[in-house]
Amino acid sequence: MTPCVRLQEVSVTFRTPDQTVQALASVSLDVGEGEFLALLGPTGCGKSTLLRVVSDLEHPGSGVVEVRGQPAAAARGANEFGFVFQEPALLPWRRAVDNVMLPLEVVKYPVGERRARCERLLDRVGLSKFMNRYPHELSGGMKQRVALVRALAWNPSILLMDEPFSALDELTKAELQDELLRIWSQERKTILFVTHNLSEAVYLADRVAVMSAHPGRIVDTIPVELPRNREPGVRETLEFVQQVKRVREALAP
Amino acid sequence: MKDSFLQRLIPPALILCAVLGTWEALVRGLDMPPWLLPAPSDIAARFLKATNLLYHTGLTVLEALAGFAASAVIGITLSALIVHSRFLERGVFPYIIVSNAIPIIAIIPLLTIWFGFGIAPKIMIAAIITFFPIVTNTTRGLKSADRRILDFMRSINATRREVFFKVQLPTAVPYIFAGFKIAASLSLVGAVVAEFYGSDRGLGYLVITSATQLRTDLLFVSIIVLAALGVSLFALFGYLERVSLRGEAAIEVNR
Repeated sequence: MTPCVRLQEVSVTFRTPDQTVQALASVSLDVGEGEFLALLGPTGCGKSTLLRVVSDLEHPGSGVVEVRGQPAAAARGANEFGFVFQEPALLPWRRAVDNVMLPLEVVKYPVGERRARCERLLDRVGLSKFMNRYPHELSGGMKQRVALVRALAWNPSILLMDEPFSALDELTKAELQDELLRIWSQERKTILFVTHNLSEAVYLADRVAVMSAHPGRIVDTIPVELPRNREPGVRETLEFVQQVKRVREALAP
Repeated sequence: MKDSFLQRLIPPALILCAVLGTWEALVRGLDMPPWLLPAPSDIAARFLKATNLLYHTGLTVLEALAGFAASAVIGITLSALIVHSRFLERGVFPYIIVSNAIPIIAIIPLLTIWFGFGIAPKIMIAAIITFFPIVTNTTRGLKSADRRILDFMRSINATRREVFFKVQLPTAVPYIFAGFKIAASLSLVGAVVAEFYGSDRGLGYLVITSATQLRTDLLFVSIIVLAALGVSLFALFGYLERVSLRGEAAIEVNR
């Protein structure tokens, strides 16, 4: 079976006038259809670059990037990627519902169904009362929820998440993690989730790809051997702690 | 609790009364000749008696706003082209900076040779003097769009047109108003200075003739009208800028 996302020997080098930085050094990775993969590593290990390469925003200097057997550009052309960033990056002059509407306008979603779709999505993350608020009237967690449903609006099959919860406080972060797991279990999207938080990676993912910096490479890929349908309590179990320990060892051998 | 508008008005109003009172008393007490320093009451009387003041004011405002409007249309269009083309940015920006360095007064005689003594050269001067703040602020605003939103738009294959109208231009709106705020007062300066040189109407003409004829009271009236116009325009665009910000932080502007 062809994997959903396949990277083979992908290298990316950035050249500035005074230095060259190897952001990714021959990275190979397969991500299965409907898999939740966490990319874990220190700052500057090329995690974000990897997402940009997968979504065809960045072109690798060498190597092959394929999405379902096709070049990444074809998947981008078919609007398969939904991006969520560390900051919500909402448009401040648009109300919450109109921020979710933005991608629907761009991908030419049927005009008559746009509003209902946005309202349903916002309702799903508990924001039905806040649809007509402007971003500056929302809390950090609410803004990130809007950013999350904005990336789901046109129902793309692959979610690319770049440290989406790392700017949130612990309680809000836990809420949003469970929200994301709930959405993922219902829709089975393929998710590439960048984080530098060990416990977050283990709690959310099927597999954790551990990266190292300078140059950015994948040092190990560790399957998370915990049952799915995870609930917050799983964090206190011995199995969870052992999983985190294994990932930590891979991170700093 | 926040002070009401009226409460905030009281201190400057009291200061104004004090200054005007002292001025009036000094002029009367020292028996100052009115050509040197007219009393506030004389200036007020001249203001009420001034015929044609509205006509001169209207003409200057017309020149200033026409130049301002032309500059806004051309400037914003040019900024849009600049952010879309690296070649244009590199090719045009040096000349925009040079144009700002040329003393505007030196251009007025040239424009008068070409376009005569009518209102055309005055409008052009108002346009030229406002061009720089409008172009620099608009360009900066268009370029300040959130990099991640631009990535997001690219990842869903947004066209350049969609990126421009849905992201870049709305991002630039507060910057554009900030540029307008500066340009508004400058456009008045441009129109008045242009009227100094060869014209028979407008507030600039009024300033020059009242000065040469030592009608100092009329000179004061002209200056006060100009100040009031400048403040009104500045306040108007300052208000529009605040409305357009919607709770975001105010931005610094390029002068």
